[in-house]
Amino acid sequence: MGLPLFRPTHDPGPSFLGLTEALGVAPEWGPTGSDVPHATTVIAVRYAQGVVMAGDRQATGAYIASRDVKKIGAADRFTAIAISGSAARGIELVKFAQLSFEHYEKMTDTVLSLEGKANYLSPIIQRNNLSSPLPVLPLLAGYDPTQRAGRIFEYDGAGGCYERTDFATIGSGSPFAEGALRLGFRADLDLESGLELAALALYEAGDNDPSTGGPDFVRGIFPMMVVLDATGFRELSIDEVGERFRRINERRAESRGVAGGSLR
Amino acid sequence: MSNYFYVSPEQLIKDRAEFAQKGIARGRSIVASLYDRGVVMVAENPSASLNKVSEIYDRIAFAGAGKYNEYDRLREAGVRWADSMGFTYAREDVDARALANYYAQHLGDMFTEGQKPLEVEVLVAQLGSALRPTKLFRILYEGTIADEPRFSVIGGDAEVIRERFTRAVPEVVDLATTLRQAVTALAGPERTIPIPELEVGILEDRGERRTFTRLADDRIAELLGEG
Repeated sequence: MGLPLFRPTHDPGPSFLGLTEALGVAPEWGPTGSDVPHATTVIAVRYAQGVVMAGDRQATGAYIASRDVKKIGAADRFTAIAISGSAARGIELVKFAQLSFEHYEKMTDTVLSLEGKANYLSPIIQRNNLSSPLPVLPLLAGYDPTQRAGRIFEYDGAGGCYERTDFATIGSGSPFAEGALRLGFRADLDLESGLELAALALYEAGDNDPSTGGPDFVRGIFPMMVVLDATGFRELSIDEVGERFRRINERRAESRGVAGGSLR
Repeated sequence: MSNYFYVSPEQLIKDRAEFAQKGIARGRSIVASLYDRGVVMVAENPSASLNKVSEIYDRIAFAGAGKYNEYDRLREAGVRWADSMGFTYAREDVDARALANYYAQHLGDMFTEGQKPLEVEVLVAQLGSALRPTKLFRILYEGTIADEPRFSVIGGDAEVIRERFTRAVPEVVDLATTLRQAVTALAGPERTIPIPELEVGILEDRGERRTFTRLADDRIAELLGEG
């Protein structure tokens, strides 16, 4: 690869997508088979100081393809991107988004706004999903330093980008997670309540959806939990997450699997 | 019948070199030096937004002296080259030496074949890792590339500043001392450079993937105070 110099009229600007296309190294967004491994449930919930996210760790094809996939990635210091749908495409999309946001920052010496990041992904999703029977749907969440609040953006299959003011779910376990979130969500949740609600919603998804992995006490693999606030992106430790799911599991064992009238 | 006069190759090269040198001499100089924990680049730059010192990649920084539009285009090409290399292969495969060679080839080509030579000098710095050593590459307007062991100066008064700096800092020392001596060398004996007109970038390990930081004015003042 030589030095990529462009005439001003053909300059791709700070877009990494534009650059890869100009250089002929853009990823192929062609069709995939329908039984490739796909990744499942991810949840984002707004709370008073930011956003909490939780995602299961399983990739499922005709059988369980992987038990320890990380579906939430730090796109930059204040932004997380999560994936559902084709695992291979999704992981590529996370990598591409990370690179794109950093590329923009280095090219222009300014950080792309959270809304700018959300909009940038739309045409990539559109291009992928219109050519593939197994769509990729990401979830973008972050702390917006200008608004001093957590923000969540979700996408439809055609690349449309929508901001959510409460919570969002992606993946096959969404209906079950969404049910729990709708009952438990309140405006101005504190961090602990937000984490507990996200964990419960993910537990429900793992309990009901065969493609979503619940907490795996045998192998010590637990869902991934992330917090985004004014200090940036941080992933909770496996012990912290494991303990939370162990408590939920004990409560459920006591009631013989019935969640009960209150969220438990 | 057109009137073409014969110009000897020697004369042509001399004219082009003079042209480029004149252009570069109009700009301010930049000192880049190793210090005990990394690499520091110090530029005299009255503009707060038109940068001379920039990040290229996780462990690579860039500095340009001379004509802004020309070296900034090279900076952009460097960022693009590094990001697409890291995307195609792996982040650890992005090597400053390869980038410095491309810059040298491009400047060399422009010097001999271009409409006019580029009026720039650039520096490529690499912070060492388990895979590669810490390096400073200096590339001149005609494509000469030098691998400088401890420090490097580019821009108009490079030779004078080099003399001053080498006497003041004979070995690798801490950041505060290196910065203070670099600023003194840039200013010369009869001048002081106000802090808002200094642009300072460092490459230093802080336990993160990216190592480049542009120092804020109050951090520069603090370092100059303690140095």
